[in-house]
Amino acid sequence: MANARSASPATRRYLARFIPLMIVYAIVIFGVSVAFNRLQPVGPLAWALAIVPALPILGVIAVMGLYLREEADEFQRAVLIESMLWGIGLTLAGSTVWGLLEFYVDAPRVPVFWAFPAFCGAMGLAQPFVRRRYL
Amino acid sequence: MKNRLKVLRAERDWSQADLADRLVVSRQTINALETGKYDPSLPLAFKIARLFGQPIEAIFDDGEA
Repeated sequence: MANARSASPATRRYLARFIPLMIVYAIVIFGVSVAFNRLQPVGPLAWALAIVPALPILGVIAVMGLYLREEADEFQRAVLIESMLWGIGLTLAGSTVWGLLEFYVDAPRVPVFWAFPAFCGAMGLAQPFVRRRYL
Repeated sequence: MKNRLKVLRAERDWSQADLADRLVVSRQTINALETGKYDPSLPLAFKIARLFGQPIEAIFDDGEA
């Protein structure tokens, strides 16, 4: 969210929370994939197992919120909030356009799972443009 | 919003990083304030005014006066 040289305490705390969650996610998604392949669970067990990899991702969303609350540098916070709004806007715009293509012209289905990664990607792409406006 | 931050900083021979350290913000924040493209919140404006020992309206100019 900021370069390491000028990392604020909030940025360091963000990274200290984010990195372990992503490691847990990588392990859990691997474990759940193996479990589905080998055990082929059904019913409530399958539902419960399928949701497990979401937990670290929900944690990441909470960690992003905590960063916004803890960042004491109001300009850095403003840049990130603006980038997040771009991320939300682009994700909603993209999903609306693609959704209509799915309805009417049988475009390939995109799993809704990709909404959050798309939001993160769009937010990341927007950030340098948002920053450039304040130079 | 136009402001005299750059002048006040130069008078004290402070770099952007020096001012950033004193206000506990990043250097990018000082730059965005000096270009007048980012307007500080009221608490940060007070902090800046206190640091330079001048009233807010002597540092920031909203062009309305």
